[in-house]
Amino acid sequence: MRLVVDLNRCQGYAQCAFLGPDVFRLHGEESLLYDPVVGAEKRDQVLAAAAACPVGAILVDGPGVREVDAVVG
Amino acid sequence: MTAPETMMRRIADPAARPDPYPLYEELRRTPVARQDDGVYTVSTYWEIRSLLNDPRVSSQTRPPLVPTPSGARSMLRLDPAEHDRVRRIVTRPFGPPHTPRRVFEMRRGMADTVRGLLDAFADKDQADIVDDFAYPFPISVICRLFGVPVEDEPRFHLWTESLLGAADFGAEHKPDPHLLDPDAAKIEMGGYLAELFDKHRKDPGDDMFSALAVDDGPDGRLTPPEQVATGFLLLIAGHETTVNLITNGVLTLLRHPQELKRLKDDPDLAVPMIEELLRYEPPVQYLPNRRTMDAVEVAGTVIPKDTDVNLMLAAGNRDPRRFPDADRFVPDRGDVEHLGFGNGVHYCFGAPLARLETRIALTEFARRVKGPELVADPPPYRVNPVLRGPRHLPVAYRGVRS
Ligand code: HEM
Ligand code: SF4
Repeated sequence: MRLVVDLNRCQGYAQCAFLGPDVFRLHGEESLLYDPVVGAEKRDQVLAAAAACPVGAILVDGPGVREVDAVVG
Repeated sequence: MTAPETMMRRIADPAARPDPYPLYEELRRTPVARQDDGVYTVSTYWEIRSLLNDPRVSSQTRPPLVPTPSGARSMLRLDPAEHDRVRRIVTRPFGPPHTPRRVFEMRRGMADTVRGLLDAFADKDQADIVDDFAYPFPISVICRLFGVPVEDEPRFHLWTESLLGAADFGAEHKPDPHLLDPDAAKIEMGGYLAELFDKHRKDPGDDMFSALAVDDGPDGRLTPPEQVATGFLLLIAGHETTVNLITNGVLTLLRHPQELKRLKDDPDLAVPMIEELLRYEPPVQYLPNRRTMDAVEVAGTVIPKDTDVNLMLAAGNRDPRRFPDADRFVPDRGDVEHLGFGNGVHYCFGAPLARLETRIALTEFARRVKGPELVADPPPYRVNPVLRGPRHLPVAYRGVRS
């Protein structure tokens, strides 16, 4: 599955990095690194992270959260 | 502006606890309202959210609800930059970037605890979701995480109940004779925590309190009184709220049996459902701890400098201008940026832990408990209007799946 973090919205709350540590990592205090394409075995981590982001910055394709296509075409 | 003069008193009245939402609706008619005692209430979504992110609104200038004997403040009662320093130090042994997997790796232990609690349901046909499930589960999680001996739990249970039950919210209610005098509870719990940190300093384990007692990061270490203040906050904030979220979750599911069935068939639904629960029945109903450091204009009203402000999270969560069908429980509403964990610099520190705990508790409850039904609706509530939740939640059922 594909995902995008809208880094303009992201405020570094790190909720994603707690719940999806194999997909999202904090580099230092501020900057967020993530894998834009992940295998099905990490789907659970991605969905939990996307639902937890307090500013709705994580967009995911597939069922459940939000459409990524609007962002990445 | 017509001031709803007795609104905070009506909200504090224990009779309003089972269903405060009509009062919040009334309150929202005046989004920014001055109460008769000079406190302002803010009750609409965008206005609350903007004040939670406004540096002119302080968490430091009101006296703490639970003052520590040493006078040191926890992060909850500090403003930036002091707040940020303390929060960074406490985050270091808890989460990313320094300890990114700690909470995530607790999943298995959490599932084991929940399994054990639900196994014990099999011997009966009725259980109290508070005493038998929602209360013991998060206690065992935070005792392990923080390094608090689980056999001390009855002691700090009594202390926190005494502190929270006694807080004066302006309502008439008889104090519970089983509880301690709040000042005594404060002193005893402070003494207990000081000793606990001493013990961890001499013989550190692999837990968070030990790390706070001995580790130096880039920001150094908390002073011993700051450690005690942090211990107070973590034990209270880390427990009472989670109990209420799990209990509110079971209550809400039993009031919406079709959603309980959906969750049973599709455990993934728990993820968005928990966000909806935090919107629909938030365990922290309002924040009675803000004060303006300057005049602040919101929604056309000027809140004067040095004014106490109550941010009514539970009212904002049901603001129809933010959420369509705001009074309906819609587990997969998608757009659910609730205020249940606050927002801005004080955004709940323990949110990832609470989300995981509640997810495991609710999916396992839905999967295993057969034919659950409420014995009483509404259930009896605790008196505290801020940390609102049922005191007991008796549920009848017809057995437990393995
Ligand atoms: C469902 C459970 C929970 C709810 C609804 C909740 C709610 C909240 C809210 C609304 C705030 C913001 C307070 C403010 O802005 O003044 C907050 C802050 C906080 N919470 Fe939670 N909480 C929960 C669980 C936890 C847990 C499990 C922990 C600890 C492990 C925790 C620790 C804290 C701390 C330390 C703060 C202060 C953060 C700061 O000042 O920067 N909470 N919580
Ligand atoms: S949870 Fe959201 S705001 Fe926080 S770091 Fe992740 S993407 Fe950014």
